[in-house]
Amino acid sequence: MPTLQLAALTFANRPSQLPLLSRLADILAASPAVTHLMVRGSLAHGTADRLSDVDFVVGVQDAELPAFVEALDDLMSIEAGALLPGWRDTIVADLGGVGMVFLVPDDGHLHQIDLYLAPAARIPRLRATVATALLLDREPAPTTTEEAAVAERFAAEFFAQPRTCAELLIEHLVLAVLLHKRIKRGQRFIAYSEWHRLHTATKDLIKTALAPTSRFWGWYQLREEIAITPIGRTCLGDLETAISGPAVPLAADVDAAVERTLALVERACPEALSGLENAIAAYRAYLELM
Amino acid sequence: MDTLTAVAGQIAQLDAVDSAQLERMRHEALTARAPWKAEYGAYQSGGWWTTSLMNASGDASDVTIGDCAARPTDLLSQMPATAALLAELGLNYMWVRLARLEANAFLWEHRDYDELDQVERHRLHVPLHTNTSAFLVTGGTKVHMTGGRIWRLTPTYAHGVCNLLGPDRIHLIADVYADDAYRRLARRPTLHPGSAEPLPSADQAMLAERLQAARGMAGLGYTAAAERMLLRLFYAYALPEGAVYDLIAELHTSLGDEEAAARWASAKRRLLALTA
Repeated sequence: MPTLQLAALTFANRPSQLPLLSRLADILAASPAVTHLMVRGSLAHGTADRLSDVDFVVGVQDAELPAFVEALDDLMSIEAGALLPGWRDTIVADLGGVGMVFLVPDDGHLHQIDLYLAPAARIPRLRATVATALLLDREPAPTTTEEAAVAERFAAEFFAQPRTCAELLIEHLVLAVLLHKRIKRGQRFIAYSEWHRLHTATKDLIKTALAPTSRFWGWYQLREEIAITPIGRTCLGDLETAISGPAVPLAADVDAAVERTLALVERACPEALSGLENAIAAYRAYLELM
Repeated sequence: MDTLTAVAGQIAQLDAVDSAQLERMRHEALTARAPWKAEYGAYQSGGWWTTSLMNASGDASDVTIGDCAARPTDLLSQMPATAALLAELGLNYMWVRLARLEANAFLWEHRDYDELDQVERHRLHVPLHTNTSAFLVTGGTKVHMTGGRIWRLTPTYAHGVCNLLGPDRIHLIADVYADDAYRRLARRPTLHPGSAEPLPSADQAMLAERLQAARGMAGLGYTAAAERMLLRLFYAYALPEGAVYDLIAELHTSLGDEEAAARWASAKRRLLALTA
């Protein structure tokens, strides 16, 4: 049987995210605090398409987890060019750490980067339950019980922090990117789920801006608490428009939701836009290229 | 001298470019099969690419500029709208390039040596593809070169350029010798007040917070990122000349790395053309 020369063909068919994945791995691995670097999702399984996200699990020395998370927004902005501060990932499964989602331009396109920062002590258990491709495996320094407790406490407190209007705006922008991907792929069930999540984020944004001390859970008593001023009625009008649309959106519905949200933020909590003006202009430009 | 007047001496808007022609030029710049060449100097982050439209050799990949009688490259022959504009202007070209600045790319604060030259020449920019996060900073003021005009840059102050978030910024850059055609083009330099935006001043508490954040990043092993975090302050705040280099030296001193501190003190002198 003759030997076939397949290397050039393999190279030509590599996932388009591979250079970005490689660059991000280099960035993250530069810190000795990083003990493990794993890729999960479609890029790990060989099923990626051009819209696939880059999904990393990053093992971090337990004692360094708080400092690492604190530095992450700056690191991703400076080294990777992330458009926005990271969104605290509320979709990802709890694996004892902290999940963040960034939007990073590369080669003229916007990519979704999922970073799950896990305490090093949790990595063996995590590897046993989650399918990943291992890029880096450094022997972590021995973790004391106190250090493991610090990491655990930090992760719990991190997610317990109330979300600000700026964070909720970023959640909308990230979800819109996800939705465009679902629509292009024809993933209607996931699109339905994320569309509902986007409406929920809109409700949360309105409550955070206009009823920050609300005693009511979820969607209860919105009219009683918020529709008592002109600005409140206008914002609830936006929410009414949002939930009156189709169950599974088209791309134009998603774009309209983003613009409606930006107008809502401008009206109800303009300080949330402070410092994000250029990022939002860039986000719009990249979205057109998606 | 107010800020706008001071900046107007550094950067000015000259004639307008016809919008339909500009759109064709933009299409050409974004679609031409150009041999982009990376230039990685000490004063930039990477992400700065150029390709020549007129130069000494006629080879588009020859991008190291110098005095010459420029002739069109093979690339310009694929770009008729661009060639038409250059011909209409009728200038005495020394070198004409396309320059592409990627997202998250920076030319760090520096001063050019051009004022030492004996030959009168000028640098003209025609923005073809840009975004609001791409701007030049000089004298504590940021200037976003909007499309639609020819801009003249004569930066004798320390200055820097960035494209924070992208997409790519592409400018046509023409270095031209002064002659009657140039003087006609430059007869009425202006700077629209809306084009120049003073950056906020940086207070000591903010600088201390950023220095502390840089220490935290360096403590995690991300020393180069910590340096770049401080370099980027030049694009966010009006700072005294060279302050970002002083901050980096201070960072290294506080980390006990006197050799790195001395290296950045030296870099400051070199990049800002300081003689002392």
